[in-house]
Amino acid sequence: MSYIFSNILGTFIIDNNLKIIDRVVYQHASDEKRLLLKHGAVKPDNDALKSILGVFKDRAYSEKFHSINLELTKAGIRDSVTDEFLVIEAVHAIDDITKVSNTLMKRFRGWYALQNPEYEHSETDNEILLGNVLKANTVKKEKISMGAHFSKEDIEPVMELGEKIRVLYRLRSSQEKYLDGVMGRLCPNVSEVAGALIGARLLVHARSLRRLAMMPASTIQLLGAEQALFRHMRTGARAPRHGLIVAHPLLVSAPQKMHGKIARGLADKIAIAAKVDYFRGKFIGNKLREELEKKFAA
Amino acid sequence: MKQSSIFEVYEEQKGKRRFLYTKSILKGNDVYGERIVNEGNDEYREWNPQKSKLCAAILNGVPNIFLRKGDFVLYLGSSTGTTVSHVSDIVGTEGLVFAIDIAPIVMRDLVFLSEKRNNIVPVLADANMPETYRERISLVDFLYQDVAQKNQVEIFLKNARMYLKKGGYALIAVKARSIDVSKRPGEVYRQVFNEIEKSGMKIIDKRNLDPFQRDHLMLFCKY
Ligand SMILES: C[S@@+](CC[C@H](N)C(=O)[O-])C[C@H]1O[C@@H](n2cnc3c(N)ncnc32)[C@H](O)[C@@H]1O
Repeated sequence: MSYIFSNILGTFIIDNNLKIIDRVVYQHASDEKRLLLKHGAVKPDNDALKSILGVFKDRAYSEKFHSINLELTKAGIRDSVTDEFLVIEAVHAIDDITKVSNTLMKRFRGWYALQNPEYEHSETDNEILLGNVLKANTVKKEKISMGAHFSKEDIEPVMELGEKIRVLYRLRSSQEKYLDGVMGRLCPNVSEVAGALIGARLLVHARSLRRLAMMPASTIQLLGAEQALFRHMRTGARAPRHGLIVAHPLLVSAPQKMHGKIARGLADKIAIAAKVDYFRGKFIGNKLREELEKKFAA
Repeated sequence: MKQSSIFEVYEEQKGKRRFLYTKSILKGNDVYGERIVNEGNDEYREWNPQKSKLCAAILNGVPNIFLRKGDFVLYLGSSTGTTVSHVSDIVGTEGLVFAIDIAPIVMRDLVFLSEKRNNIVPVLADANMPETYRERISLVDFLYQDVAQKNQVEIFLKNARMYLKKGGYALIAVKARSIDVSKRPGEVYRQVFNEIEKSGMKIIDKRNLDPFQRDHLMLFCKY
């Protein structure tokens, strides 16, 4: 009796004494069939399989194992890049840009306030302040100002810094637009209910759409609040009511005492949306969102 | 530099500290920023016990790691290849290391490493499904597992059954906390011993990896 066995090296006919008696090196399904018919060989059972695997524990095959697996693994890595990876990178990029622009904006404010502290003090919105300062002649100085007089030479580097910060603000919004697009492709329902950025953060936290879809609503509600939750369990501090979803417009605008209820409702709908997205169901995001708004909008 | 009591592992004593090395099969290349010592025509790569559990086990006194020049090895949970690179030095160019990991990002570094070291074979696969790589590897002399999974013992036994030769050796790094966070390590370990011995495998040595790795146990088994 002889066995037929195929692996990435080829298709082999192996006899009772574990000798290879015939082989086709580059296998096709048809080669396997041809050899099978020619030798009347059988597929090995588990015990025989182990002995046959032993036939290949041989330096003669090392080079082929190496080169073919290298190619297969490279292809596997290539194919593993999904929209989820793009979402993760985009969210991190947006966070990095925000961090950097906030740091630089603090520096800009301090520097600019030397010449015009009154205006710097009165405008709390970073983007508006920056826009106005950079537009020539829109910001007037008070008659009696604490600001020093700056020469043109001293003003220039401040303005140049401001220009670069403005570029970062634009970069952030174009990356958010990009994130919107990927999220709309990957999980349109979650994106509609939670918003693209919050949805993306939930996805990053869950590590994949599959895992997010398997999560109960109560977990989604607290995703991102793990530290507060552990503190609650350890010290009896107040239990957190929400994690990442706290930035959702429905919660931002609601009175504190409604937060628990809204967070629960929102998490319920996100959990449904994630399941629909994972199983590639129909678009029901708008319906879910309207239901939420009807129930909770002020 | 002198040969240690363990095959293909070298050592230097400096004051109270003992440093371990493997003789590099690929000169002029460090793998993870480790120190390289040149002596005569040979190059030795320092083996870092904080980064490699096998090194920690040796420093904690195992008399033998049962790994030999020319061995075929199945390594589950290879990550970017820190320990794999030393195993690759030990088995040498006659040996072969099938390095399996499930995570594509770490596998990328392993591919770069395998392109330089011909005795490392990278396989992107789930060790929990050994039948998925049946066509990609051979029987082996030695099984090494470090995957930090809840069912790590089951994974270990499944792979041994399919790929480890009779009489071959198998090492598993057991991380108590990945099996059950609620139980004390000692209790988890006892359960692991039972499961392994019930399968017919013999446990020859147990090493705690303190102070290099906390709550880890390295088990040396014979199949
Ligand atoms: C602690 S690291 C291993 C470190 C490595 N042994 C060393 O010493 O350099 C654990 C690795 O196991 C991998 N892993 C986890 N589950 C796995 C599975 N089911 N199959 C294959 N690899 C897995 C992870 O991707 C990770 O790279």
